[in-house]
Amino acid sequence: MNTSKPLHLRTSRDDHRIAALAALAIAIHLIEAALPSPIPGVKPGLANVITLVVLFMYGWRDAAWVSLLRVFAGSLLVGSFLTPTFVLSLAGACSSLAILGLAWHMNPLLQRLGLKQGLGPVGLSVLGACAHMTGQIITARLLIIPHDGLFHLLPLLITAAVLFGIVSGIITQLILIQLRPNQ
Amino acid sequence: MNKTSIVTRADIIIISIAILILPWLYLHFWGDGSQGEIARIQVANQTPRLIPLHRSQRYPIDGPLGTSIIEVQNGRIRFIESPCRNKLCIHSGWLQRDAEFAACLPNLISITIAGRNPRFDSINF
Repeated sequence: MNTSKPLHLRTSRDDHRIAALAALAIAIHLIEAALPSPIPGVKPGLANVITLVVLFMYGWRDAAWVSLLRVFAGSLLVGSFLTPTFVLSLAGACSSLAILGLAWHMNPLLQRLGLKQGLGPVGLSVLGACAHMTGQIITARLLIIPHDGLFHLLPLLITAAVLFGIVSGIITQLILIQLRPNQ
Repeated sequence: MNKTSIVTRADIIIISIAILILPWLYLHFWGDGSQGEIARIQVANQTPRLIPLHRSQRYPIDGPLGTSIIEVQNGRIRFIESPCRNKLCIHSGWLQRDAEFAACLPNLISITIAGRNPRFDSINF
């Protein structure tokens, strides 16, 4: 085996950009994980602001990378990798990415139907947050707590999702306005 | 895109739909819609005993510590007497909706509200 040559991974500019953005999302995720929450399972999910900003600036593929990297690396750093928390987090991220992808690709259709601006960050954020919660609750029901009593939590959790979704969406739009001043 | 617009028209439609769905969620999951019909009482490892909730009656149930008394009234069920120390089972109060649950761990008695056709006999963790 030739040991004199170190292994070089070819990285593209895309990779660097995704890594930097994911690092930002992970940092926000960590800060949020350190804050106590009044209701277990409810937190603002501000790391998703990064996902949304990436979605609007670089498209769905990059957003999916940033979001999934955040789930994996974030759980390694918090120490919840492969625990139920991680499974729920992954389920939430996948559900919300699926809905975001669907809505993102529906936008041209919406624009043709007369809604000229299509869905903005606020609408997408609310959709994503609700999908995140629903995906998590269904996963929890299937894998962790096989009891229908779990669905009694759904109204509260969806209320929180809508509120935090609107807040994250507004933050995202403010960031996007700063990043793209002439649009 | 207008420089200062925070929400688009499509956003407002999505938010309105979300806000309209919320009251439905509360009514559906917290309302009285899912009234239970049968309570399942389980003592230790014995076969569960099914009790209808439409007949008001008191049931003495024997556990390892002694006799707990369970009361059924107007479609609801609760523990009213128990030989255990902290009486958590009594403090659980009335159970009436599908899938509600109360247990007396010291006396190994649990009550679950079940539908007519429970889908499983027990859950193991």
